[in-house]
Amino acid sequence: MLKSADHMTDEEKLARIYEIGYHISPAVKEEDLEKIVGGIRAVIEKAGGNFIAEGAPSLTRLAYPIEAREGGKRVEYDRGYFGWIKFEAEIAAVRSLEESLKLKDILRFIVFRTVREDTRAKMKAPTLREVKRTDTIKTTRRAEESAGPVSEEKLEKALQDITTE
Amino acid sequence: MSANILTQNDIRHVDYKDVDLLKQFVNPHGRVLGRKRTGLTAKQQRAVEAAVKRARFMGLLPYVQK
Repeated sequence: MLKSADHMTDEEKLARIYEIGYHISPAVKEEDLEKIVGGIRAVIEKAGGNFIAEGAPSLTRLAYPIEAREGGKRVEYDRGYFGWIKFEAEIAAVRSLEESLKLKDILRFIVFRTVREDTRAKMKAPTLREVKRTDTIKTTRRAEESAGPVSEEKLEKALQDITTE
Repeated sequence: MSANILTQNDIRHVDYKDVDLLKQFVNPHGRVLGRKRTGLTAKQQRAVEAAVKRARFMGLLPYVQK
């Protein structure tokens, strides 16, 4: 029992790898995105976190409308600026981050534990390869067509050559 | 010798941001396919489930699709 308790405190002191994903409201102007991202970064930095990787926010279509409160009104958005940051920090840092992220310009966010390595799959979507294949077929067809119309004399001659043999 | 998508492409971590990869593990309605269909190991299946749920929460994948 004592051993496990020691282990727990050790782990709590250790910095852990986290990733945060967020959607910034599409009502925000593109010039102001950096300001909001800078705000998130400042919170992590203030809590003694180190950055590992980052994805800049880009306008993404949402799979379903997300509701947000803007002033007194409720607004539904079908898109948002999605970005992410991978960082190393202590547990307390993440708690303060989650508190500070409840801002009106951020539609939704998620913070979870992950690993240091790059987790993005380095795999090409199979649909991309199929598109390439259809392209090559088209080009070969065109090459055949571009051989041009064959004159009747030539055709008859060729036929005779075949039949005589 | 397992012939599932993750092993074939040597994917050790499933990221919720890889929507195109995750779409191969859900049916047209947006439900996660079972292990019989995906051919994943138990560990891989759990990772995919977690990633799909994160992607759904963040609006990258639908919860339901008609």
